[in-house]
Amino acid sequence: MADMTMVPEKKENKAAAFFGAIGNFFRSFGLAVADGDWAVKLSLVLCGAGYFRRKQIVRGILVMLLEIGAIAYTVFIGAGYIAKLPTLGTVQQEMVYNPDTMQNEMNNYDNSLLILLFGAISIVTVIVSIILWMANEITVYHIQKDAEAGKHVNTFRNDLHDLINKKFHITLLFFPILGIIIFNIFPLIVMVAVGFTNYDRKHMPPAYLFNWVGLANFKALFGDSLTMSFGYSFRKILIWTLIWAVLATFTTYFGGILLSLLINSKYTHFKKMWRTLFVITIAIPQFVTLLMMRSFYGDTGIVNTFLEKIGLVGFLKNIGLISTNYIPFLTSPGWAKVTIVFINIWVGVPYLMLITTGVLMNIPQDLVESAEIDGANKRQIFRHITMPYMLFITGPYLVTQFTANVNNFNVIYLLTNNVYTTTDQKLAASSGQEVDLLVTWLFRLTSDKYNYKMASVIGIMVFLICAVFTLIAFNFLIKDDREEMFR
Amino acid sequence: MEKTNTIKNTRTIRNTVIVHVVLTILAVIWLVPVFWLLVTSFSDYDGMDTSRFFPKVWTLKQFNKVLFHSDNVVQFPRWFMNTLIIAIFTMIISTMFVLMTAYAMSCMRFKGRKALMNIGVMLQLFPGFLSMIAIYFILKSINLTNSHLGMILVYSGSSALGYLIAKGFFDTIPDSLREAAYLEGASEARTFFRIVLPLSKPIVVYTVISSFLAPWTDFIFAKIILNSGLSKDWTVAIGLYNMLDKSLLPTYFTRFCAGGILVGIPIGILFIIMQKFYVEGITGGAVKG
Repeated sequence: MADMTMVPEKKENKAAAFFGAIGNFFRSFGLAVADGDWAVKLSLVLCGAGYFRRKQIVRGILVMLLEIGAIAYTVFIGAGYIAKLPTLGTVQQEMVYNPDTMQNEMNNYDNSLLILLFGAISIVTVIVSIILWMANEITVYHIQKDAEAGKHVNTFRNDLHDLINKKFHITLLFFPILGIIIFNIFPLIVMVAVGFTNYDRKHMPPAYLFNWVGLANFKALFGDSLTMSFGYSFRKILIWTLIWAVLATFTTYFGGILLSLLINSKYTHFKKMWRTLFVITIAIPQFVTLLMMRSFYGDTGIVNTFLEKIGLVGFLKNIGLISTNYIPFLTSPGWAKVTIVFINIWVGVPYLMLITTGVLMNIPQDLVESAEIDGANKRQIFRHITMPYMLFITGPYLVTQFTANVNNFNVIYLLTNNVYTTTDQKLAASSGQEVDLLVTWLFRLTSDKYNYKMASVIGIMVFLICAVFTLIAFNFLIKDDREEMFR
Repeated sequence: MEKTNTIKNTRTIRNTVIVHVVLTILAVIWLVPVFWLLVTSFSDYDGMDTSRFFPKVWTLKQFNKVLFHSDNVVQFPRWFMNTLIIAIFTMIISTMFVLMTAYAMSCMRFKGRKALMNIGVMLQLFPGFLSMIAIYFILKSINLTNSHLGMILVYSGSSALGYLIAKGFFDTIPDSLREAAYLEGASEARTFFRIVLPLSKPIVVYTVISSFLAPWTDFIFAKIILNSGLSKDWTVAIGLYNMLDKSLLPTYFTRFCAGGILVGIPIGILFIIMQKFYVEGITGGAVKG
């Protein structure tokens, strides 16, 4: 319904443009209400009226149905949930004796989670309905203006035709965006909201209620008390998450570049075969390769057996690097971190090799040739042509790779879950581990401890870290317009 | 002249040898674990035999057990079918969503396009399974956890967010081609299906394969949504993960290897087909410019 017509894009200040657009929207709505004829004014109540007046019967009926649906939902379902949203429910579940059936029955209790869930959905539905209602008013007014100016008023067939033509984007985007709203935006709103409640093991619906607690969870995350060690765990895990993200991103990036330079060097024969050999390791699903690596490097795993046979374990024990009869590749904090970074190199380098191979092959040869003519040696060409070109093309990928590593759940979880146990009591008290990233910690909190409130707060922190980093990096990478550099 | 040539030749030979030796060492490091998985799957011994690299007795017993003798713990054929059904539907829906979004964002100009793209970038900065926890509750409230439909919705619902690679590819298709089509009277829809899609075979193949692979390689979403604890509901990933539980490992490790090989080979082949397009997709937009 919203009249999204094609507009050429201009480069403006984004924030100003955004608020300007909102202002315009309200202005046109006001104009439509003030200046519209009786049908347009009636459309405020009966949304289809304006269309019926212009003989757009089908469109009018569809709009009316939508209006009835939205109102019915709001009145019968939405209003109830929205009303309970401020308290998140007051009636706790209990068994009540029912004199009619002479049995104990469950009372009509409130479920805080469902209230939060459907409350959020209802609020969004109401807001969207209001926006659509205003947009509808504007559309109806435009139709009135067109009709008065003697222009052609679309029939329903014309409208349908528009949907595969100049309004094709609405047809294309309707379901994808609906999917994103339902499966991404709603859940995110709910989970972010949970961060401001006391939803945890002691407040689990349906048996118990939970309610709003303001910023208490954030305070718990940054402070330490006698009973809670979230602040301690958060600092520790945050530092390791950042170190990990930097290490993982750069080791695989430069490893990948080196490997692809090696494979594409003019001395290498059977380039394709080499490439395929390395790709095989990432072709097998990660949960298989990582779980296998976990057994491979286990305390009683095959690597330890082998190293013991050749006497390395004894040697390391003698010089005091280990105190056990095996190398604790994945079971002691220090060793585990190193092992994980190395296994991640093993997992990640072939990917980067693939990508950088593609980039290397596309380096403009005339640039390289003219540099050679000018007498540049190989190192200079690498430093001044290959690397800048590589960074230019893969820069954005590098940024997303960093955030992906902050969120790299698979590698850490599959390698350490059920294998690694922390000995740090303070970490254990908040169910963290030395090798945890913020995201695996988050997952552990929900799956083992049902501590949804803290999980939500950690999730918000992860978002903030990624958002700040991405903003800075993209400004740095893209702001100075280097697009023309290699053309 | 001859002398410099011989010097050059010896240098070439020396470099060639060095490069190949280094590559061989690296390839061995990279392939040994995979190779171990392969040979262990042929082992007669059920648990993890750490005393030797190659199995003592070579047999196909484990494959036989995995494929034809399901028990309460291992129901590989069932998992495979579960994952296959989920993957096929996910593939259809995701491919449609991704290509539709990419076309709208790349080839059309409309109000709010930039805003939508920015929102898309922002949404992806949240850790994926933060929303998954809420999705679990939503699906639970309509009884869709532990079901194929629930998993399909989880994998394909917000798949449109992955449109960027396809958009990058569509961006490289010259405007003039589409404009010619409009001049001939083709509708936007017709241009999409008849002009742009046929020219975008690589990215269509990439999107199809990568969305088909998602359910096979995903572990965490399946773990959250399929929580009944009943083996028959699982996907391959959850099933195989469960086999390495401490209590099960001594009896099921070799079967895990066999299962890993069975799922790894088809998935691996698809991945190798896809990777060519993957590189084109990631670098395509920038390189062709």
